[in-house]
Amino acid sequence: MIVSEKSNSKKTIELGRWIIFIVIALVINLPIIATILTSFKTTAAINSSPPTFFFTPTLENYLEVLYKGNTNLPRYIINSTIIAAGGSLLAIFLSFPASYAIVRHGVGRSWLLPLITNIRALPLIIYAIPLYLMFQLVGLLDSWLGMILITAVISIPVALVLFVGFLQDIPIEMDEAGKLDGASQRVILWKLIFPMSRPIVIAVFLLSFITSWNEFLFGLILTTKNATPVTVGATFFVTTYGVKWGATAAAMTLGVLPPVILGLFAYPYIGKSMLSGAVKG
Amino acid sequence: MNLNPRSERKEATKFLYGLCIFLAIMLGFPSIINLWFSFNEVTFHNLTGEGFAGIENYKNALENPKLWKALNYSLKFAVIATIFQVTLALFMVFTLHPLLLRKPWLTAILMLPIMVSPALMGVMYRLILNEFTGIIPGYLNMLGFHVTLMSRSMIQYTVIAIEVLQWTPFAFLILLTARQSLPYELEEAAAVDGAMGIKFNFRVVLPMITPAIIIVTFIRFIDSFRVFDHIFVLTGGGPGSRTTSISIYIYKLFFQRSELGQSVALSFILLVISLTLLYFGLKLIVKKE
Repeated sequence: MIVSEKSNSKKTIELGRWIIFIVIALVINLPIIATILTSFKTTAAINSSPPTFFFTPTLENYLEVLYKGNTNLPRYIINSTIIAAGGSLLAIFLSFPASYAIVRHGVGRSWLLPLITNIRALPLIIYAIPLYLMFQLVGLLDSWLGMILITAVISIPVALVLFVGFLQDIPIEMDEAGKLDGASQRVILWKLIFPMSRPIVIAVFLLSFITSWNEFLFGLILTTKNATPVTVGATFFVTTYGVKWGATAAAMTLGVLPPVILGLFAYPYIGKSMLSGAVKG
Repeated sequence: MNLNPRSERKEATKFLYGLCIFLAIMLGFPSIINLWFSFNEVTFHNLTGEGFAGIENYKNALENPKLWKALNYSLKFAVIATIFQVTLALFMVFTLHPLLLRKPWLTAILMLPIMVSPALMGVMYRLILNEFTGIIPGYLNMLGFHVTLMSRSMIQYTVIAIEVLQWTPFAFLILLTARQSLPYELEEAAAVDGAMGIKFNFRVVLPMITPAIIIVTFIRFIDSFRVFDHIFVLTGGGPGSRTTSISIYIYKLFFQRSELGQSVALSFILLVISLTLLYFGLKLIVKKE
């Protein structure tokens, strides 16, 4: 009797947890769900009141933003892909050797590491104006390279923290073995340690890619048309298309999907980077 | 073993060059530009400056009443948003941790919002809050609530709510990571002592994840304070200057009103304040650890 009562109350608690989970998941994801649904609706279905959940899906909106309508959306998506990939790679190739020097030789541990972790927390608007003026001077406004440089800056702090955390756990005997073979530090770093670090390099790439893809402020300030990323480009739909919510929703969906899908693989590293970053910073 | 540690260290220092030079150009140099321009009389047409302006730019910047309004809004925004984000995240850790321990993949569903660009999140909310076709007003009306969340009086709270809804998962993720790193024996020991459920969460778990709570509060406060993206696409800082955060204020000063001097002076002040706060903030956190 007592046993079954206990398992009953356990079941109630379990049910409660599920309800809380479902409600929260629905509420926080509501804009994403609604946007994706809207992107498959016809204009008539969008304007029906009350909003409907059952409708015949159409690809009309996607065809319009990608092929038919005179939009630059494909261009924006290509821009974002190149900028995010380029910025992430640059951040990796600058941070990895630096983390190695910090971990193995302690150079810069006391000043460089805390300094760079702090960059993550600075209001980026501080740099918007001088970078705008600098880029204007050297002709980097509205270029892929300019945006790649910026997104690398934004990605470096997390990359450095995750690399330092990972390299600390690689036994020093690995380096010693390389040294016995007469390898230089450069060779040990890139030919031995870097391949061993593949999991963390991939994680850093994914997180940097997501951060860079989602960047908005600098895309808004530093690009006008050629290098405009999708985060900025997709917002044009609201004004230029006015009430064409279907097309806007399709553009949003395409702009949001890549980081959301990558995020499913990368999210566990966010918690790690934040906690270890604060401890070591 | 023909390398001695000293020359090894020297060689390793070279590994830092790339990163240091890059950051010096991308962040160090711009900081100097801010400092230099803030003391000069500069305009868009004459970027080399027409002469030393002394503290004129700073004076103009600080005497502008709109600055204080923006600062005030940013602070209010950050305080309210942070309190809600951390409290909700804590509630989620307490209630959902056992469930997510058994079904870890459910966590991913809760992480979707933080993968979305805040700017696009803003546009999506614009879509669902739209007075005529949006699903939120649609269903609220059906239920008999007639509130327009985009109205003059509501909008400043609506944008705070959006911040909370998008970033609570982030706070939750960090607190959950901290919660999951606690040893399982803890639960068993507590069960023996009869401390279960709510009591266990408040008496045992809460004190043990306090360092993570402090870190999360700190990070979310800073991030919320510098908010730009979703407000910019939803309201552009308006109506009037009701939703103008400090980031939007500086942006407008420069790109819409061409107040170069004032905006660089403010940028420099903000840089100094941020670095000071971060320095002391991190010191506090490291001490607590």
